[in-house]
Amino acid sequence: MIRHFFINILRNVRHNKVFTVINLTNLVVGLAVFILFSVVINYELDYDKFNTNYDQIYRVQTRQEDSNPINYCTYSPPAFRYHLMAEVPEVEKVLLMREVSGGAKGSGQYFTLPDGSQLNEKDGYWSENTVFDIFTVKLIEGNKETALTEPSTIAISETLSKKLFPNGNALGKLVTIGKHYPLTVSAVYADFPMNSSLRPTYMVSMPTYEVLAEGPTYRDNWTNISWDNFILLKKGTDPRLVDAKIKDAFKNVKDYEKSFPYLHPLSKHHLSPNSQPDMIVGLAILSLAAILVLILACVNYVNLSLANSTQRSTEIGIKKVIGSSKKLIASQFIAETMLHTLFATILGLFVAQAALPLMNRILEKNFDLSIWSNSQLLVFIFLVSLLVGVLSGLYPALVISAYNPVKVLKGKLFSSVRNSFNVKKILVVAQFSISLFMLIVSFILFNHVNFILNKDLGFDSKNILYTEINVHDTTRFETIKNRLLQYPEISDAAFSSTIPFIGNIGGFITWDGAAPDERVMVSRNYVNYDFIPTYNLKMVYGRNFSKEYPADKEACIINETALKVFGWDDPIGKQITLYGRKYPVIGVVKDFHPYSVHNPIPTYVMFLNDNVISGSSLISVRFTDGNEQQAKAIVSRELEDILPRDPFEFKDFGAAFYLDGAISFWQSMKRMFLFFAVVTLIISTIGLFGLILFTVKRRTKEIGVRKVLGSSIVSVYWQLSSEVVQMLGIATLFGCPAAFYIYKTMPGAYKEPLSAMVFVAGIIIIAVIAQLTISYHVLKVAVSNPVEALRYE
Amino acid sequence: MIHLTNIDKYYDSKFQRTFVLKGINLEVNEGEFVSIMGPSGSGKSTLLNIIGLLDAPSAGQYMLYDKSVLDLKEKTKVDYHRNFMGFIFQAYHLIEEMTVYENIETPLIYKGVSGRDRKAMVADLLDRFNMVAKKDLFPQQLSGGQQQLVGIARAIIGKPKLLLADEPTGNLQSAQGEMIMETLKALNDEGMTIIQVTHNEKFAGYGKRIIRLEDGYIRSDSDK
Repeated sequence: MIRHFFINILRNVRHNKVFTVINLTNLVVGLAVFILFSVVINYELDYDKFNTNYDQIYRVQTRQEDSNPINYCTYSPPAFRYHLMAEVPEVEKVLLMREVSGGAKGSGQYFTLPDGSQLNEKDGYWSENTVFDIFTVKLIEGNKETALTEPSTIAISETLSKKLFPNGNALGKLVTIGKHYPLTVSAVYADFPMNSSLRPTYMVSMPTYEVLAEGPTYRDNWTNISWDNFILLKKGTDPRLVDAKIKDAFKNVKDYEKSFPYLHPLSKHHLSPNSQPDMIVGLAILSLAAILVLILACVNYVNLSLANSTQRSTEIGIKKVIGSSKKLIASQFIAETMLHTLFATILGLFVAQAALPLMNRILEKNFDLSIWSNSQLLVFIFLVSLLVGVLSGLYPALVISAYNPVKVLKGKLFSSVRNSFNVKKILVVAQFSISLFMLIVSFILFNHVNFILNKDLGFDSKNILYTEINVHDTTRFETIKNRLLQYPEISDAAFSSTIPFIGNIGGFITWDGAAPDERVMVSRNYVNYDFIPTYNLKMVYGRNFSKEYPADKEACIINETALKVFGWDDPIGKQITLYGRKYPVIGVVKDFHPYSVHNPIPTYVMFLNDNVISGSSLISVRFTDGNEQQAKAIVSRELEDILPRDPFEFKDFGAAFYLDGAISFWQSMKRMFLFFAVVTLIISTIGLFGLILFTVKRRTKEIGVRKVLGSSIVSVYWQLSSEVVQMLGIATLFGCPAAFYIYKTMPGAYKEPLSAMVFVAGIIIIAVIAQLTISYHVLKVAVSNPVEALRYE
Repeated sequence: MIHLTNIDKYYDSKFQRTFVLKGINLEVNEGEFVSIMGPSGSGKSTLLNIIGLLDAPSAGQYMLYDKSVLDLKEKTKVDYHRNFMGFIFQAYHLIEEMTVYENIETPLIYKGVSGRDRKAMVADLLDRFNMVAKKDLFPQQLSGGQQQLVGIARAIIGKPKLLLADEPTGNLQSAQGEMIMETLKALNDEGMTIIQVTHNEKFAGYGKRIIRLEDGYIRSDSDK
């Protein structure tokens, strides 16, 4: 019996090659997409789960209710560690960490190698030794108990260890962080997994911070919200209990009365770090899309099976006559479907594995994973494929097994199938609507990305080099500027606390004419005299800061948006108030984009930075056309000479612009939709193929008769085409408005006006594909002999 | 064995009722060889299909061995097809994806006969019909007469009591047709009840009894 089953299935495959190939392609595409997204989603959901204390780890975050919308900040002040958490009995362990970034003098993210060259390493942390108790870290060398307890010690990751000490044996050796500070390697740990939200490349002990930074005073700091406070809760503790105990922590801290600490579980660190659902919504959309594609593939399978069953109806009829039961026929068909899906799943796994690099590019991720190694996922995928098999086999099986043998054997099966035929049409229309929608949206996104990339930013973004630097030998900026301007390649130089796209300092201000309680959040920038000319910002009113007016040190320049918000007609001389100090306005700059074009232009205020550079700031240099490399060499050499102790690295401003989060988000979205557009297009083409196959088979005799009567093949073609054009027309009615809706609701402050071309292009592509599909079938009928079609009976 | 009383078969369309069979009374005894004749559209095949439980009458009674076989459960009907009757068709209706051997073997699989017994039974029939050398060929590779022989072999392998043949020689040249009729006659001689539908007077003559249908009525029923 079993053997009979399989022989039957194999023979059917051989007998219906085209059908099998098309249907398998359909299933493989659907399943591969599903598998791919299962992998991605599974990966995202698995973040941080490698920690044995996964359920007990929390980060203390800060909710700032005085900003609008409410700001959820992942950081909290260091005083929590020393004054707050110690008093909560439910907390088992505390851990204070802070990213190393210019925060303490002279550290930076640089290592100086023995030959004097610099190694730039991101994701370094100041950390307490409890990191080894709370997170699951494997030590390769060193002692977990004491690795980060002493001053001047550093624990480094395996990767960094290989870079710094290619010959091994890092333990006990000295490394130079920044330019001067020697630290002893106290431990080497295995790299944190790729799917860990915390991935330090190195960790410097907290006692070192006390030496390098301001001393132990940071322990009492309640306002520096830039620290990571991790805690390990005692098993079984309800975090809300702790939330309630710590909620008043900021009550007596001036200016922070409306900030509240709360516990954020490790399980949400990756997907929702700021307590915002963005990533989760993204994943949900992704899951939905994957399931949708799979359903479309199942629907196709059903349609194709029914279309093909005309060919197999005789076989079924005979089997029934010679004693096969309905159940047997149905179960055989389902078994056949399951075998198809099983085979398609195996192929799909290979396709998905091969397509993972593509997925990495689309999502800009770095999945270092193999599908085969995740047994849980494999089980899940095979269960889904089983379900797909049953679902897509069941309906055709019931239909086919119910065939009336008398009708089937007389070839009268399709005398009364108008209804089911319409259902098929609706399904194909649905498929085309979806792929048209996807296609148009990806075109819209294409336009949008181009728009963002090419929009006039309001300042001259070309020919600028910049570096972050932490100057701790106070220097007159004129010295630097004059040295640089000796070279014809350099045309201007400035320093400031932020530059467009990099850095953001907020603050609440009030202004002349504001209501008593009215205040507004502004973006602040502390600039020197050269900032406005270097970035070619245009003045609309008043003037730039000038050395000729010593009072400018207490003055400010605002942008047009600020002018509108303040509602001033004559801005010059009006005053704004920041932290109780008044600043008169001396000028207004034309609006420019200090952040990505995705965001609206903020209320922006510039204050004068004295012409003396010290501490953390940004140096910008404008060079003349075509001299980027020379300019980079010049500024690097000169700055090295003037500030030998402070590490820096000049970068091209354009590159920073392209790395901007919003732009890469839209690029990702664009690629994602293009991917789905291609996938749904493939699947709907297969759907259409099946439908036309069905129509043609049903009408083989009719077409034969027409041919015998002298009708040309062209008229047959027109008849099929007009049906498809009709369906496409209906699909357009659904797909285009849906795409338009997406355009309307697409977030972003600036959008290009919608062009009709995106719709036309989408419709044309789909129409061409549909016509090609019809042509294939019509050609097949055209070359066939009408006698064949008419012979039977 | 077969007892039909007042069998009607009709189709209702909007304003009128079209009769295919009307008031058919028929009794067929075990061992008979009945030929049903009549012009196209006289209801021959419908009558055969009703007898073969492939179609249901609109009215009337159908007793098989004194048991009513109308409104049977699907399962019982399948049992009748497996154990009691075999079919032969004008277009042979062999399963194209199966070899000669497999085509003949299939009914036994449905019947649940063990593999070893199946082998012996199929080999026996192949031998009888001189088709041993052709057992691994596919239907398309055979002549029409040979295909119909396979059809007969498939119909009788389950040792049915009743063999129903719908124009078994309709697609064949006369020499091959005669060969088929000889085969049927031999089966009848062994005791198998056979009912055939045919257009061909000469082949109808192989039967012991000829029933002539006209517009759904039995026009004549005569022993030879």
